[in-house]
Amino acid sequence: MKERKRRRIFGRLQRTPKWKKEEFTELEYEPTSVKELLTEMKDISELIIDLAYSAVFFDNEEMAEEVKYLDVRMDKLNYDIRMMAMMAARTKEDAEELAGILQVAEAAETISNAAGDIVNLHSLEKKGPILPKILKQADEQLFRIKVSSESKACNQKIGHLKVESETGMRIIAIRREECWIYNPQSDTSIQADDWLITRGTEAGYSELRKFLLGKLEVLE
Amino acid sequence: MKRENVEDIVLEIKDKSELMVDLAYSSLLYDNKTIAKEVYDLEELIDNLYRNLQKKTLEHVKNKKLDINDALTVLRLAEAGEKIADAALEITDVELRDVELHPILKMSIRESDQVFTRVEVKNQSILAGKTLGKLKLASETGMMVIAMRHGDKWLYGPNKNTKIDQGDILFAKGPEDGEKHLIDLATGKTSKI
Repeated sequence: MKERKRRRIFGRLQRTPKWKKEEFTELEYEPTSVKELLTEMKDISELIIDLAYSAVFFDNEEMAEEVKYLDVRMDKLNYDIRMMAMMAARTKEDAEELAGILQVAEAAETISNAAGDIVNLHSLEKKGPILPKILKQADEQLFRIKVSSESKACNQKIGHLKVESETGMRIIAIRREECWIYNPQSDTSIQADDWLITRGTEAGYSELRKFLLGKLEVLE
Repeated sequence: MKRENVEDIVLEIKDKSELMVDLAYSSLLYDNKTIAKEVYDLEELIDNLYRNLQKKTLEHVKNKKLDINDALTVLRLAEAGEKIADAALEITDVELRDVELHPILKMSIRESDQVFTRVEVKNQSILAGKTLGKLKLASETGMMVIAMRHGDKWLYGPNKNTKIDQGDILFAKGPEDGEKHLIDLATGKTSKI
């Protein structure tokens, strides 16, 4: 497997950041690669939707905050990528190709806005929640599982356990005491008492659940 | 497709819009206009579903079958789906307009957390002749088939009753280590799912 650069914001243990602080930070030119920016924007756009649904589904304020933070970050990344693209254009051909990149970046930003809208539904949901009822009927559902100290998963890396390729369950976030790991990477370890927020099918969930409760020795 | 109640419609919008984003990225990665056009068609379908949903929701409120807050939630959830569908269309726009694709675009799509892959099912493959539901590809390999080509016919967002035949080309999405497993299964290198 090829070596991949560590993402700057994903896969690390953190307290949920205060998104308000980030909202109108001053814009400053900072050389980064367009590729890195676009990859991060695409990763955020994929995670943020699942995270937004999870926030509403599990009625969780912190996940909702993270969605808002990522949405704000996306705005900044969108500025950064525009600046980098402008600096990179030398010829007409460059301009045409870079316009295509900016179009895709813009789309990723639109997706994160939609996620922000989903999170805002939360405030409507106080009594008689209809959203969880709707989301429960989807093919791929959201599940929350607590890792037992009996489980063979404890102190193992997600990449080593091959959670997603063995069960089809994507880990959206991990909650560890007061902190969170959003979009855990393959080198993130699972620990006893972690709460995993996952997305996948009923069949995948039942296998992963048994494993995390220590009732199954190995995932296959 | 069952479209009797508002919950089914809103779920369809949610599922289809997510499929559209996957298809949109695939269309760029494989420089594929057929997939891009499907995204275009799906966007129209979602517009229709959304209109239909708005009407039904209002009717339900009028008949007191639905509480106002619930109705608003349903409509706003659908609106978010509609927005995501629009974003997918923005992505395919690049492909449909014949914009020269920058190599970075493909690299970014390939190198993100979820990878896309395309593979042909060979006749010695264990996948041939079985349905997706029976194979449990998604829960066994982590790879979700988002589209497939059968001869000159295309199928988008296949379900558990969809049968895979030899010669089919599968477009799938999933984790990096699931990709190799799927390719080995499709080419007949392994028969262990």
